[in-house]
Amino acid sequence: MTSPDNPGAQRLTPAELQAVSFRRAQLGRRGFDEDQVRAFLGQVEQELVRVLNEKAAMQHEVGRLRDRITGNPQGITTAQAEDAHIQAVRILSKAQETADHYVADAQRYSRELAEEARRGRDEILAEAKARAVLVLEEAHRQATMAAEQVVPSSEPFSGDERRNLESEIAYLRTFSDVYRTHLRSYLEALLRNVEEWEHSERDSLSSARAPLPRSR
Amino acid sequence: MDAQGLKDNFAQVAQHGDAVALFFYSDLFLRNPGLREMFSIGMSHQRDRLLSALGRIVAQVDNLPELVPFVRQLGADHRKFGVEALHYPEVGQSLVATLRYFSGAAWTEALARDWTDAYTLLAKVMVEAAEEDAKQRPAWWNARVIAHERRRFDLAVMRLVTDRPLPFQAGQSVAVEVPARPRMWRYYSMANAPRPDNTLDFHVRLIDGGPVSPVLVRAAVPGDWLKLGPPVGTMTFDERSGRDVLLVAGSTGLAPLKAILERIALSPAPPRVHLFFGARTTDGLYDLDDLTKRAAGSPWLTVVPAVSDDRAEGTAEQGVLADVVARHGLWRDHDAYVCGSPAMVDATTESLVRLGLGTDRIRSDKFADA
Repeated sequence: MTSPDNPGAQRLTPAELQAVSFRRAQLGRRGFDEDQVRAFLGQVEQELVRVLNEKAAMQHEVGRLRDRITGNPQGITTAQAEDAHIQAVRILSKAQETADHYVADAQRYSRELAEEARRGRDEILAEAKARAVLVLEEAHRQATMAAEQVVPSSEPFSGDERRNLESEIAYLRTFSDVYRTHLRSYLEALLRNVEEWEHSERDSLSSARAPLPRSR
Repeated sequence: MDAQGLKDNFAQVAQHGDAVALFFYSDLFLRNPGLREMFSIGMSHQRDRLLSALGRIVAQVDNLPELVPFVRQLGADHRKFGVEALHYPEVGQSLVATLRYFSGAAWTEALARDWTDAYTLLAKVMVEAAEEDAKQRPAWWNARVIAHERRRFDLAVMRLVTDRPLPFQAGQSVAVEVPARPRMWRYYSMANAPRPDNTLDFHVRLIDGGPVSPVLVRAAVPGDWLKLGPPVGTMTFDERSGRDVLLVAGSTGLAPLKAILERIALSPAPPRVHLFFGARTTDGLYDLDDLTKRAAGSPWLTVVPAVSDDRAEGTAEQGVLADVVARHGLWRDHDAYVCGSPAMVDATTESLVRLGLGTDRIRSDKFADA
C-alpha cells in the first residue's frame, strides 16, 4: 500500500492502470459493464497524471523559491527567464490539450454519424428486400385472380386447352403489369434518394487539393 | 555512462505519463516554432508514439546490438517527415529540459551529462542511417492517381503512378499522405507485384471517423497527387521454400496477398495456390470477379470466397475464414500468408496452428482499425 512514510514502497502509476486487464465475464453471467470500467480507469489515470504533474510543478516552485532565498544575485535573472519559459510551456501544453480534445470529439462525432448512416443503409437494404418479396407475392396473387376469371369460349381449340392458354396469358400480362408499376415507383423513389445523397456528399467533401512539392 | 541510472531516472519521469511528451513538444515548439508544422494538428497519437519509442530505447540502452537496428530504422523512417540533421540538436535540448523538469530534486549534473551523451550517440546513429538511406532512395515518392474505382460505397480500388521507380517486394506496404490531411501518414499495401510502368494498385476500405481513408475512398479522383513513403513489411513471398501456398484474405487484407499471387504467377513453375477471400457480406467480396478470372486462366490456382454474415450465394462458402479454411483440408505442408483485421488474423493463425501448421510457416499482417 501507499505510505507517505516509506517513499520506496510500490506506488500506483498511470502506466500500471493502463495495463490492468479484466477477465471477461463467463458466458451468460453478468459482469461489470466493460466500457464503464474502462472509462473509470481512464478517469483515474487522468487524475493520477494530474496529481503527479501538480507535484512536479510544486517541486519546481519549491526549488525556485529556495534558490531565491539562498540565492546568488546573478542567478536571479536566469531563474526568471526560465520561469517565464516554463509558464509558456504550460500555456502551450494546455492549448495543445484543448486542440486534442476538439480533434478527438470531432472524430468521435464523425464516427458516430458514419456508423448511424451505415445502420441506416443496412435497414434500407433489408426493407427493400422485404418489399421486393411483397411486390412479387402481390403480383402473383393478382395474376392468379386474373387467370381464374378467364371465361371459356366456343372457338375451334379444344375448350380446356384454350382456357389454359388464355389463363396463362392473362396471368402473365397482369403479373408483368403489376410488377412493372411497383418496380417503377420504387426505382424512382430510390433514384431521388441517391441524388440527395450524392448532393450532400459533394457538399461535405473538402476541396483542398494542393499540388505537392518535389521531394529532395 | 550509468545505464541503470538512466533507466531509473526515466522510470521516475515516465510516471507522469502523457504530460512528459506534452511538455517535451511544447518546449520544442517554443524554442523552434518552425518545427510545429512538421506535425498534424492533433498530437495525442504522436505523444504515445514518442513515449513508447523512448521507453524502448531506454530499456535497451545497455544492449546496443538490439538497439542500434531499431534506432537506425527510426532515423531512416523520419526522412519522409522532412526531418534533417540540423533538427537533432534541437530535439536533444528539449528532451533533456523535459527530463530535468520532471526529475525535480533528483536531477544531478551527472544525469544531465549521461543523458546528453546518450542522446548525442543515438542522434549520430539516426543521422548516419538517414544519410545512408538517402544515398539509396528518395525521402518520399510523389504519386498521381490514374484510376479510381468505387466497388462499394466504402471500398475503392485505385491505381497510382509514381514519379520514379519505387522498388518493393510483393506483400509490402507504404505510408501514404494525402494533401487534404497533411502530416497524417497511413499504411496501405500494394496490391500488385512490381511493374515496369511504375504503377501501383491499392485497395482502400473507408474506416468510420478515420481521417485518411474517407478522403481516399470518397474524394480521390484521377489527377490527384499523393506522397508515398518507403516500402516496409515482412509478409513477403518465400520463393525458395518450394511448398504449396495458402493465402487467407479478410476484406482489403486481400491487397498484399494479391501482390504475392501476381508474384507467384511470374515464376516459371508456380506452386499450387489456394486463396481464401472472406468478407462479412457478399457485396464485400469486392474483387471476386478479377480473382475468378485469374483462377480460370491458372490451373494451379483455386479461389474460395466466403461470407460470414450473409447467406452464402453462388460459389461462396458460409462462415468466418478461420472455420472455412479449416474445413478445406490439411495445410500442414503449406506456407500460409494471412492478412486482415487483427481478430481475423489471430483466429485464422490459431486455427492453422491447431491443424498442425508451424508458426514459422505462417506469415501475417494485421490491418489497423483506425
